[in-house]
Amino acid sequence: MIVITCLDQKNGMMFNQRRQSQDCVLREHVAELVANAPLWMNHYSACQFDTESIPNLNIDDAFLQEAAQGEYCFVEDAPLAPFEKWVERIVIFRWDRTYPADRYFDLQLGSGQWHLVDTSEFAGHSHVLITMEVYEKK
Amino acid sequence: MKRRTISIFLSLVLCLSLLSACGSTTDAPANGSNRDIAFEETRQEVQAEGSDSTTSENEDSASDAESGKNDSASDKAQPSQPERNADENSLSAEAPDFSLSSIAEYTDKPYIAVNGNVPYFTESELTDQSYEYYSDLDALGRCGTACASIGQDLMPTESRGSIGMVKPTGWHTVRYDDLVDGKYLYNRCHLIGYQLTGENANTKNLITGTRYLNIEGMLPFENMVADYVKETGNHVMYRVTPIFEGDNLLANGVLMEGYSVEDKGAGVCYCVYAYNVQPGVEIDCATGESKLADSAQQEEQKTATVTPTPSLEPEKQEPATGSEASQADYILNTNTKKFHYPTCSSVNDMKEKNKQEFFGTRDEAISNGYSPCGRCKP
Repeated sequence: MIVITCLDQKNGMMFNQRRQSQDCVLREHVAELVANAPLWMNHYSACQFDTESIPNLNIDDAFLQEAAQGEYCFVEDAPLAPFEKWVERIVIFRWDRTYPADRYFDLQLGSGQWHLVDTSEFAGHSHVLITMEVYEKK
Repeated sequence: MKRRTISIFLSLVLCLSLLSACGSTTDAPANGSNRDIAFEETRQEVQAEGSDSTTSENEDSASDAESGKNDSASDKAQPSQPERNADENSLSAEAPDFSLSSIAEYTDKPYIAVNGNVPYFTESELTDQSYEYYSDLDALGRCGTACASIGQDLMPTESRGSIGMVKPTGWHTVRYDDLVDGKYLYNRCHLIGYQLTGENANTKNLITGTRYLNIEGMLPFENMVADYVKETGNHVMYRVTPIFEGDNLLANGVLMEGYSVEDKGAGVCYCVYAYNVQPGVEIDCATGESKLADSAQQEEQKTATVTPTPSLEPEKQEPATGSEASQADYILNTNTKKFHYPTCSSVNDMKEKNKQEFFGTRDEAISNGYSPCGRCKP
């Protein structure tokens, strides 16, 4: 599976069971990135997307168990460590700010298992800068 | 004679109203059980691991118990008077029913959840009409509760101006170069961040807070609320209450509450206490005076550069920081492509048209094509 997630400057994901931030431009980028490939997410994440505009969207609260190789998973509030061996690539959309956090990204990108293969930046709607980082397994 | 009579009469009325206000202050513990409403949790998916269970409202604060200071009234949130920019009928003048004794002593996190992360707003206080108000300063010159219903229409459209002329209670210009990011211990912290309501040098909205409180404790919440409002167009009820113990001039911390109105808290819902501390520094909240903590002294054997407020012009002495992102980390010179500490003397010589505030890290400034100033060496 290919994980897509949004992290702040300290790898935070959520606070008090709510996403730290969102950006409508980022959602457009996600839709472009996925194109016609299957995209999985849970019901919480689906609330922020226009589900009609994503052609191959699968909404399932157990989506990390369901996603097959090459399929995208948009992850906001789930631990990833138990699924790491099935993760082929990680796409991180990095916010340019820090938010409150009590749930953090739980994969160790500096462990030697992952390497950064691509970085690009774009301006969001409410964010001056969003950085897309792509990691692949070594 | 007539004027004198009126004067005496008005004084009597004032005394009576003050007595009345004192009587309305309650010392009841804030456990949320007697709130006017129970907030409807609209977030449906309860996560297996849940939120950080740092809530500790049932733990007595050791520091509070040991201090022996009078906490009967002034370590409670101060009742406040509605001030301005608000519809008289929708003002939220009540400070939350909160006591410092419910807060655990600081360990290593800049903020902790209070009341299960559910704010103390009553249903009648929630409004989708933008407003803001700031309590009058108390007899000691201290800020009280600041509250707003944040909407896009309140947000600023231009950069923040200088706030260096404001001296909140407990203010000292003190540097700890090796311990504090930005070097200066204290910032002028906006209770409601500039990015939310555009309040600049409002003395009723500025407290003395450590850099740590400012950047690690308060700014993340301001950022979260600002993004949410910009993305959704919704309103967020936002209240910040500085918590002073006894007659202390420096707040022990701030109670921060946020709740998104239109979606009933689905987007934003929190209630946290942020500590007015600085790791490695011991602070006397009675006066704001500080010294290097013993542990830090033993570890590094470094002498802090402690500069009690000198006769130099305050604007130049203090960091142009303060609360939230509105107080820049660096100043860019768009002409020379150098970046400076806001306190650098070169900033004063810079042409206004070349001056630009920068919010971010040193690495980010460099990655944007700027190089560090040779004078202040940021």
